[in-house]
Amino acid sequence: MAQLLAPALPGRARMRRSAPAAVSAVALIVMIGVCSSLQPGVLTVEGLTLVLSATVPLVIAAQAQMTLMAVGDIDLGIGNFVGLVTVVSATLLVSSPLTGVLVLAGLVAAYAVLGFLIHLRQVPALIATLGASFVWLGLGLFLLPTPGGTTPEWLASFGAWQPAGFPAPLLPIVVVALLVYLLSARSALGVRMRGLGSNPVVLRRAGLRPVTSRVVAYAAAGVLGVLSGLVLASQTGGGDVSSASSYTLMTVAAVILGGGSFAGGTAVPWGAAVGGVTLGLVSVVLSLLDVRSDMQSAVQGVIVLAVLAGRVVVGKVLR
Amino acid sequence: MHVDNLPAGGTAPPDTDTGPAGRPPVVTARGVTKTYGRTRALTGVDLEVRAGEVLGLVGHNGAGKSTLMRVLAGLEPCDAGTVLVHGAKASAGDFRTVRMAYQETSLCPDLTVAENMWVSSRHCLPRLRWRRAASDAVGRRLDEMFPGHGVSPRDRVEDLSLARRQMVEIARACLVDRLDLLILDEPTESLGPDAARSLYAYVRRLTEAGTAVLLISHRIREVLSVADRVAVLRDGAVTAERPASGLSEPDVLGLMGAHVAAAPTFGAPAAAGTAARETVAELLGATGPGLREVTLRVGRGEVVGLAGLAGQGQQEVLERLWRPVRRDTTVGVSRAYVPGDRQRSGVLPLWSVGDNLIVTALRGIARRGLRRPAEERAVVADWVKRLSIRGGAEAGITELSGGNQQKVIVARAFASPAGLVLLDDPFRGVDVHTKTDLYGLIRQEAAKGRSVVWYSSENAEMAHCDRVYVFRAGRVVAELTGEEISEERIIGVSFAEKGEDD
Repeated sequence: MAQLLAPALPGRARMRRSAPAAVSAVALIVMIGVCSSLQPGVLTVEGLTLVLSATVPLVIAAQAQMTLMAVGDIDLGIGNFVGLVTVVSATLLVSSPLTGVLVLAGLVAAYAVLGFLIHLRQVPALIATLGASFVWLGLGLFLLPTPGGTTPEWLASFGAWQPAGFPAPLLPIVVVALLVYLLSARSALGVRMRGLGSNPVVLRRAGLRPVTSRVVAYAAAGVLGVLSGLVLASQTGGGDVSSASSYTLMTVAAVILGGGSFAGGTAVPWGAAVGGVTLGLVSVVLSLLDVRSDMQSAVQGVIVLAVLAGRVVVGKVLR
Repeated sequence: MHVDNLPAGGTAPPDTDTGPAGRPPVVTARGVTKTYGRTRALTGVDLEVRAGEVLGLVGHNGAGKSTLMRVLAGLEPCDAGTVLVHGAKASAGDFRTVRMAYQETSLCPDLTVAENMWVSSRHCLPRLRWRRAASDAVGRRLDEMFPGHGVSPRDRVEDLSLARRQMVEIARACLVDRLDLLILDEPTESLGPDAARSLYAYVRRLTEAGTAVLLISHRIREVLSVADRVAVLRDGAVTAERPASGLSEPDVLGLMGAHVAAAPTFGAPAAAGTAARETVAELLGATGPGLREVTLRVGRGEVVGLAGLAGQGQQEVLERLWRPVRRDTTVGVSRAYVPGDRQRSGVLPLWSVGDNLIVTALRGIARRGLRRPAEERAVVADWVKRLSIRGGAEAGITELSGGNQQKVIVARAFASPAGLVLLDDPFRGVDVHTKTDLYGLIRQEAAKGRSVVWYSSENAEMAHCDRVYVFRAGRVVAELTGEEISEERIIGVSFAEKGEDD
């Protein structure tokens, strides 16, 4: 009997792993269905553009979170980091583009250094990134104490881009997920990153330096954080350091919805994309349903819990 | 591709007539010592592994085998002494041709089999399209070593059974462009008999091609049948080195310092009166995943064995007894569980020996929800003394050797007030000494009225049970009592009518 069962097992295992993303994809489709029944215009290209555009920065930030969760860490500073990037792009990037670009590159480098220090000093990432989040907040307030500023022209025109035939927000979502997939799931670097999250002892025995994996993961997260901030700035047309503070925990929820885990070792770029869009859509649905804005956070939380419960149930069935 | 170093037939070594003794040494250890904290793991080891031979290394748990392996594989430097590779003092890079298959495996569970190959053998893989190359190489190597292995290079390691993981681990160790020394650490603990046979056939082919193999195993008969020479490690030093031919199992046990107990001398199992015992737990026609119509009962103060080939439903029975949620299972007493996989589900690695030992009994000792440290300490001290756990109650659990950790986990279950203790093959990879202590403990506790349900993959252990149920394909195929329980009988029943169920 064991021999008969054996070939069936990996397929089942693969199904179990993709189940969380499938559950949140179902939730996603249900929400788009609810939207279109309330507002028939949602199913047109313009409607989908409008509905999806708000989710793009969140999805990209979720990819950053996913990269760090793959090595077994967690980033509690991503929200303020994205906010800081919007501030930089609304101030320095407009007044002196070169300085602005250098500062953004410096922010990516800062992330890499953060990863290096976390590894060197064996500090829990939870604490180090929480500390860093206050640094990002402070820098943002220093550059732009009150929300405002303007975005560079090229960024604004990217935000207003309306191609014919498909909703514009799909492009960044898919392209970023594809790049992260190539890095984390297909490349040798990705194997080193996931290996670190899975079993660092093995890496050391094989003569691979775990610190490299961690620094690469943090640098990738920094790049994605900058991208997310630029997209957010292109949509809001200005800078606000606290505009993305909710992202910190939303991105964690998006990764978990997409099938990631706190333990590290797995990379779920497509799952994180689906999870991010699902989470972003919840607030759109709630506004269309005329839920009072002061109740929205609570309802949003309940919906996230329901989707997670669905994930657990499906996981049990497939075990 | 360089990874397929081995010619299919194996080339004959140039000096066949001189035998292994005349060949040059591959790795030589001279006066190697190693100290961890207060424990002296190695006290001066002299050992030589020659090209084209199988050297068996035996010794109790805690004799220093694992440490010696790590030093020989270049993973840890030694405190004093030298390790020579091909007669020259070795630096870190020279150990690339020395590969080790670990007992607990050295694989990332979240990565696929092919990705794990990249991690350990990336020097021999092309930079581009490495995934394809790694898949091909590992697939071919597995086919060579374990025909019918059932592993796909795209499987994630966490989804594989313990036996398949072990196969992948051994294949991983062999996947290199040049292999001078292969170290196998308890390779057959999780493998079935067929896979073990194919492994040793492969080992023969390796040595014919001039590779040296260092085999570490508790299964002394196996070592004697495969190895050319046997080295005995005792208290951190090699105390004896003999040719394997002409040695017998009792000889080796004697060299290891075991008091050879040919027959169990402690409290012979009481065969009579099992029917009269009060029933504390029973399964009535239990059916479910991995179980078909299983009926069994456990009496008070009885040691019930679950035997048979690995994975025939024994662990499912333990699971049912541990969590009797279905109607077909009734358990009338509290339970304690001793897991077999101590790394994963046994020890609390950050806690001390004492904390690890007392955690299950804690609630029984506490009064009104408050702990009573003095009583806890007394209980811990009693168990540490009774099982002579090295290091004492204050030592960190991970500082202990595997055998001593296992003692703590078994003591944890018996220190609790549980009336039924479930043992999930807890003595895998434990030395003879510790095992004898623990067998005695089980009999003593049973005499006090505890019931024990004991699954073991080692049929010889079943001799310590009052009653044994033999499993095959989720069914109980035989119930043996008293005198009927013997290794030969269990094996006979386990394998009988094998063709019918497959």
